[in-house]
Amino acid sequence: MSARGRLAAIAAWWLLLALAAFAVQHTLVVNNDLRSFLPPPRNADQRVLMDEIGDGPASRLLLMAVAGAPNGTLAQLSKEIVHALRADTRFKQVLDGDESATQLDPTLLPYRYLLSPTLDHAQFDEAFLREQLEERLQDLGSPAASALEDILPRDPTLETLVLAQRWTPRHAPTMRDGVWFSPRGEALLIATTHASGLDTAAQAEAIAAVRAAFAKLPGAAGGRLQISGPGYIGAQVAASTRAQAERLSAIGTIGFALLLLLAYRSASILALVALPLASGALAGLAAIVFGFGAVHGITLAFGFTLLGVAQEYPIRVFSHRRAGADGAAGVRGVWPLLRLAIVSACIAYLAFLVSGVPGLQQLAVFTIVALLVAGAATRWLLPLLLPDRFRDVAASPLMQRAQRWLAAMPRPRALPWIALALALLALWFAPAPLWQNDLAALAPAPPAELAREGKLRAALGAPDVRYLLVLHADSADGVLRLSERISAQVDKWISAHAVDDVELPSRWLPSLETQRARQAALPGRAALTAALDAALTDLPYQPGLFMPFVDDVEAARHLPLLDPEAFERSPFGARLAAMLVERDGKWYGLAMLDGVRDPAALAAIATQTGGAVRLLDLKSASATLVAQYRTRILQALGVAFVLLVLAVGLAFRDVRRAWHVLAPMTLATLLAIAVLRACGVPLSLFHLVAVTLAAGLGLHYALFFERPVADADEARRTLHATLVCVAAAVLVFGLLATSAVPVLRGIGATVALGVAFHFILSTQMAMWRDGDAG
Amino acid sequence: MIFGILLPALLLAATPPPDASALIARLKRPVPASTAYTEVRFVHQLTRPLVLRGELDYGGADKLGKRVDVPYREVTSISGGAVTVTRADRSPRHFDLERAPELKALMGGFSALLGGDASALATLYTIVLVDNGNDWTLTLVPRDAVLAGHLRDFVIDGTDAEPRCFTLHQGNGDASVMLLGALAAAKLPQPPSVAALATLCRAEP
Repeated sequence: MSARGRLAAIAAWWLLLALAAFAVQHTLVVNNDLRSFLPPPRNADQRVLMDEIGDGPASRLLLMAVAGAPNGTLAQLSKEIVHALRADTRFKQVLDGDESATQLDPTLLPYRYLLSPTLDHAQFDEAFLREQLEERLQDLGSPAASALEDILPRDPTLETLVLAQRWTPRHAPTMRDGVWFSPRGEALLIATTHASGLDTAAQAEAIAAVRAAFAKLPGAAGGRLQISGPGYIGAQVAASTRAQAERLSAIGTIGFALLLLLAYRSASILALVALPLASGALAGLAAIVFGFGAVHGITLAFGFTLLGVAQEYPIRVFSHRRAGADGAAGVRGVWPLLRLAIVSACIAYLAFLVSGVPGLQQLAVFTIVALLVAGAATRWLLPLLLPDRFRDVAASPLMQRAQRWLAAMPRPRALPWIALALALLALWFAPAPLWQNDLAALAPAPPAELAREGKLRAALGAPDVRYLLVLHADSADGVLRLSERISAQVDKWISAHAVDDVELPSRWLPSLETQRARQAALPGRAALTAALDAALTDLPYQPGLFMPFVDDVEAARHLPLLDPEAFERSPFGARLAAMLVERDGKWYGLAMLDGVRDPAALAAIATQTGGAVRLLDLKSASATLVAQYRTRILQALGVAFVLLVLAVGLAFRDVRRAWHVLAPMTLATLLAIAVLRACGVPLSLFHLVAVTLAAGLGLHYALFFERPVADADEARRTLHATLVCVAAAVLVFGLLATSAVPVLRGIGATVALGVAFHFILSTQMAMWRDGDAG
Repeated sequence: MIFGILLPALLLAATPPPDASALIARLKRPVPASTAYTEVRFVHQLTRPLVLRGELDYGGADKLGKRVDVPYREVTSISGGAVTVTRADRSPRHFDLERAPELKALMGGFSALLGGDASALATLYTIVLVDNGNDWTLTLVPRDAVLAGHLRDFVIDGTDAEPRCFTLHQGNGDASVMLLGALAAAKLPQPPSVAALATLCRAEP
């Protein structure tokens, strides 16, 4: 191919990739919902747990404070933000206190005698009514009288007030100018997003919408908007992690390019080196689009990490070109080994495909397709595009020196065994814990941000994100009955300061049984009129003033009972709907907790109720899920290793050669893990994936070093290729290891460390030696 | 240009008439101050007015207490926007002054009046002074239209630097007359009516 034709072909390939990238970007759904990454729930309990982890109302709250202006201005801004956000479909609910429960909704007004607990301990008889009416007389004489006058004729026992108090959170913020204010003088708001709190992309969008809405307000310049909440922190952390990763990989890419220029003295290599990997990645993504439609962000991150091995394919081709031979001939020389590496890696990843975990299956499909395509591109397309002019690296004096030095290096046979013993000792004595199950710890939020969130949460009396009380029953009404049964215990908790507040579903809606009992306790019209007349003796109320009361009580006696469905149509319905969940015919009540101080005391309710009520610790529950997931990954990796051993063994049909390849790879992996553990690093899923990538690279080193070569030139070419690969991996991942974000540091350090061990042990154990019998 | 004309006009509108300012300045009470009262409350839902006796305490800006001794015991204290109502053998009830806008406006009026702060009073109410030598009547009408719907006006009758009566007229026709100091011990007209009490408030002691 002419130089011009080659350039055109390279440009066409890149263009094709760009188009494919565009298409994939517009069809692939990347979600950040942890649930699509974790193993699918196996029963209803786990489904509820999974829902709550990502979708729990507490985790979807954006907490906001407006400060920096006089109260009146802040209140006005607060009302305007609410108005703007209520029109935004991203938000399910936006509150600033103006819709507080001070006034009972008209649809619920007739039901007040069924909803209020008054009739549980009182009768509407003469004595009770007399006491109430005397008290109302005093109320009329008090400074707050004007608020009372309107409702007095209908509601002399003030059930509306009882309900308002019952439905107001114990720690509701104070009101100023009609909206919530913090003790520090900030106007407070709460918005609930439709999107999961873990969907960092959607949360970032919602946050941007809030900021945009605020900036558009005419008085915005006068105030300062602060946002916090789990979703906000998640989005912040994701953004800063991404920014760091992008910065470090940009530096890494520049370093990699310089390394290639140094190694091959050819600029056109730069245009070629990324083509197989990019082609493979896009093919892998396309496979996911066809096979699954959506993929989790973490799966993608894992996939791209594992795909790092494909970066070696073109480098092998570049380094192994022989002076005087064309590109295709050079590829034919290394292809059998590359093919062996690719095929055995793909066979190993088949283990992920049969794991039954969607995240791992996606990972397998992506990695297998990407490796095959990258390999095929390296074998059949890349050679056609290699530049005519190049330098045979075998002639490099530096390589000759390096080869001599390496050949002269002592290779004590005991070294691997000593290394193994040290690794096992390190693993045995390494500080606990072995595993990091807290995904949040991998990219922790800044403490100042968490403190701010805690302060706002406390000021708003917003529910705890970590704990939740779960009630199990066969029906929604069963949940309400259970909720009523434990309410006395809950009151004890609150007075013992084990928890600040518990919002039980029965706080909003009593069970049918309770409603029926209250309805039965309502006197008939005649009895009530008689009791009321007797109670009114000598009291200065206008005659007939309380007719609306008598009518309402009579109406309440014949009302159909209020079931959850009917209640959920009322303005407070959303609150109850969020607390009653049906899964596979079983019902779950979710009671929000506020200010949990003694989780152990709360957890004891499980034994008292025979397991019907349990304290759910979302943090430990999600850690359990992650641990289960890790077990599945470890199992899959174990099977993958066995498959790899079989594939390499079958390919060689020689146990001794297979041992030379597999032993250094296995030992290096063990050493990398041992060093991490000796440094006190608890291992996470990300470490496992990083170790796997390093093992894939190490397999290449060992395979190529082990290969019997005809002459010293070819051995030098192998050494050159391997040195470029090792230098590239150590550079790119070593940079990542400098990151302040634990997850990036973990991946970077693990791969860099692993690659170093793999290289050293390959030269020690796999390299063809003069004394070895062939 | 427009502001040049408007601003002095606005200032003028919010400035109390000069003699009212002087009078209000004289009303300033040292802190703490307390006075006995008899309150007659006319509520349209009741066949006869409520009569309460007790003591009013003024503790400085935003601090006001009202104690009822007869016919029952009750203490209401307002401090920094929080209202607490305590009745004998009951746990105290708390509510936010924000939740009772009329009470809040009244509280602002009291504070400005007893603090002798005429200009603060003038931002909340339009002030009309009727001066009959030693006796005078201040009528305060809320500037806020929504509030004015509930609280028609707030009338203070007095002699020299002593207020004798606070009278509230509500939008729904209800009214409350508070006889202060020496007048608190006066014999109430029978039957008590707003008009009869107004006469009592304006009569020579």
